[in-house]
Amino acid sequence: MPFLGEVFSSEIIKKTVLDPKGEDLGRVRDLVVVKGEPLPKVTALIIERRKKSFYLPWQDLNIFNKKIISSRIFAESLQPYETREDDLLILRDILDKQIVDANGAKVVRVNDIKLEGYNDDAVLIAVDVGMRGILRRLGIERGGEDIARLFKKSLPFTLISWDYLQPLEPKLTEISLTIPRQMLSELHPADIADIISSVSQKEGASFFNNLDIETAAEALSELKPEMQADIISAMDTEKAADIIEEMEPDEAADVLSDLPTERAKEILEHIEKEEAEDIQELLGHEEDTAGGIMTTAFLGFLPDMTVAQAAELFKTEAREAENVYYIYVVDKEEKLRGVISLRELLIAEDDCYLADIMETNLKTVAPGEDEMAAAEIISKYNLLALPVVDENGYMHGIITVDDIIDILLPPEAKRKRRKV
Amino acid sequence: MKYWKNLLFFLSVMGPGIITANIDNDASGITTYSVAGARFGYTLLWTLIPTTIALVVIQEMIARMGVITGKGLSDLIREHFGVKTAFFMMLGLFIANFGNTVANLAGWAASMEILGFSKFIMVPVGAVSIWILVTKGSYRFVEKILLFACLLYFGYVISGFMARPEWVPVLKAAVVPQMQWNSEYIMLSIAIIGTTITPWMQFYLQSSIAEKGIKKEQYKASRLDVIIGCSITDIISFFIIVTCGTLLFPYGIRVNEASEAALALKPLAGEYAYLIFSLSLANASLLGAIIVPLATAYYVCEAMGWEAGVNKTFKEAPQFMWIYTMTIVLASFVIMVPGAPLVLLMVLSAVVNGLLLPFVLIYALLLVNNRKLMGEYTNSRTYNYISWATVATIIVLTSFLVVSTLMPLHG
Repeated sequence: MPFLGEVFSSEIIKKTVLDPKGEDLGRVRDLVVVKGEPLPKVTALIIERRKKSFYLPWQDLNIFNKKIISSRIFAESLQPYETREDDLLILRDILDKQIVDANGAKVVRVNDIKLEGYNDDAVLIAVDVGMRGILRRLGIERGGEDIARLFKKSLPFTLISWDYLQPLEPKLTEISLTIPRQMLSELHPADIADIISSVSQKEGASFFNNLDIETAAEALSELKPEMQADIISAMDTEKAADIIEEMEPDEAADVLSDLPTERAKEILEHIEKEEAEDIQELLGHEEDTAGGIMTTAFLGFLPDMTVAQAAELFKTEAREAENVYYIYVVDKEEKLRGVISLRELLIAEDDCYLADIMETNLKTVAPGEDEMAAAEIISKYNLLALPVVDENGYMHGIITVDDIIDILLPPEAKRKRRKV
Repeated sequence: MKYWKNLLFFLSVMGPGIITANIDNDASGITTYSVAGARFGYTLLWTLIPTTIALVVIQEMIARMGVITGKGLSDLIREHFGVKTAFFMMLGLFIANFGNTVANLAGWAASMEILGFSKFIMVPVGAVSIWILVTKGSYRFVEKILLFACLLYFGYVISGFMARPEWVPVLKAAVVPQMQWNSEYIMLSIAIIGTTITPWMQFYLQSSIAEKGIKKEQYKASRLDVIIGCSITDIISFFIIVTCGTLLFPYGIRVNEASEAALALKPLAGEYAYLIFSLSLANASLLGAIIVPLATAYYVCEAMGWEAGVNKTFKEAPQFMWIYTMTIVLASFVIMVPGAPLVLLMVLSAVVNGLLLPFVLIYALLLVNNRKLMGEYTNSRTYNYISWATVATIIVLTSFLVVSTLMPLHG
């Protein structure tokens, strides 16, 4: 039983390893870990002796703790270590890299790594992302505690358990962001977008690839346009099409309009026909106009429907629509006749016709008008959505109040990464 | 048609190189050039060409790293050289940049004083408006202000022409190297390099390129951006030296401060030159005072893994907000308190800058030659000779500057 208790990687690195006679065998340079159950475990030390690297397997260790490390073998039987890219090394691959703190939905750095004894093995139990980790690495954890005590505070332990990190794969050497999938989908898409926009582009893209289609679609619509285009162009067409299809048509159109025409066409071909037609129509409008920000997913019911029929239809149609609080009454020629709020529909008698209870004094905007004009109407009349109707009375779509808020106050991830 | 397409392409990538290079001419830069022109006329002009070349060599590597890795220099240093290296480098950067902020706010105070405003009003006004602009304003607004402020540097070009120098000797002095073997001349020529190639701008450039998300395919355009930016910086420096060299040097007027130069210009060149010089100084100082503390707070937090962002509160990003706010508050305080050790602070800042630069440059060179990181975009063998030689020269010169700052030569 060579290892008991707990130890931080910073307490081991550069420590002297002794041979059975108590002579200097070398200094610890790194630790090799492999995936294990339940936690990844240390399989060997890499030690440095006379400027050369040697491989010291875990079985050959006699004692391993923060005070003393000793081996069962002598210098003659040490195996030289050749650098292999697919080995996972604590110092080289994990320490100082960025990871996602799922609790705070932010990107932090690994300041230290905590190991613990488990059935004769040393397992990776947690990473330290707090101030303590930094102080320990600098060798002044005690001093830090003393200073904190002066201010009557205590230094918190900020550890993230390995349970919350994705199972180890050699892939980790390339991408430093890890977080299990199920936790990822629990994060709010806006938080995911924040995370993606605060790491480098390459990392952001592979982080994004780990998301399920639904979360991916929502997170994508929260990102700024250039980043959306980058991520979608790096994906294979099938998956890109799946994600675009999942998005609201207006947002899908925004993403596609930033892609090269060829690529956009290719993706459109992989999208279900009806959805693709909606998107294509939206693509025809200028970006800053009412037509450019509208969505085609709205509730349009016929005037000769009864309230009961409408309520029944609502149950199926409302799944797809972005805004369900207004029901638009549209005739067979797709001309807008009136509007009914959800409240009015719910309190009306079941056998009334929609044509009888609808509001006909309509506030609309033309597709070619400026987006700010739409914003003004929405603000003036306190609407949740505004129908986009052309000069012939045909209804093209609606502009929802959250599209307007996005224009007036872009979410953080849509602005710039940093403010410098 | 193709021509326009190329131009549009360049405009989309342009920015980081040009903005970085412009902010490089902050209060201390302008002071150095004014002093150099007034003291030695055109004879120091030739140093600008080698300085520009050295600047381009270094900035090109930094820009390349930003494009290929998509990360900032402080991120890379932390990830490849560990927390100790990163910590001490950030500590140094923090001290040096605190000095830079003081220098910039002092430049702002001096320019306001000669324009007839009290520094006890203008320094707090400047500090508070910087703080509000950055923490409460939107990024787009800040960016517009920065770009407009960069344009104001051309005031120096105008003043250079207004000075009506004889262009033949000026151009000759710019291309034919000459040497005067006295300590003041040597010190000033080194100071020109020292004020042009600074540690913080390497961090600033790489981050702004990484954050702009410039891709490998756009790298050539980005390189052009860097080259143009470096050239503009030194063109501005050129005109500052020419103005002071034409108007002040023949009368033997010595100046120690950029603001003194502005005052001295008044009787010789009239109201306009005086106004241009003092307003440009005010602009450059304020611009530096906006960027330097903000950049410092960002790099420190990034390297240490702390939350950063100007839209965050003190509770969400405590380290970031404290570093940013305290830098500005303390710097303003130092300037307004009579008897504060301003000179000592400037010396300290120059020394720390000088000590930091070799490390920054050597780490940058090691990183840019790291194949795992840069792939096929590492330096070529020839380029490595050039860059190591450049870096070695800069290190020798700045260590000379550091030594002589600590032990002033009398002679």
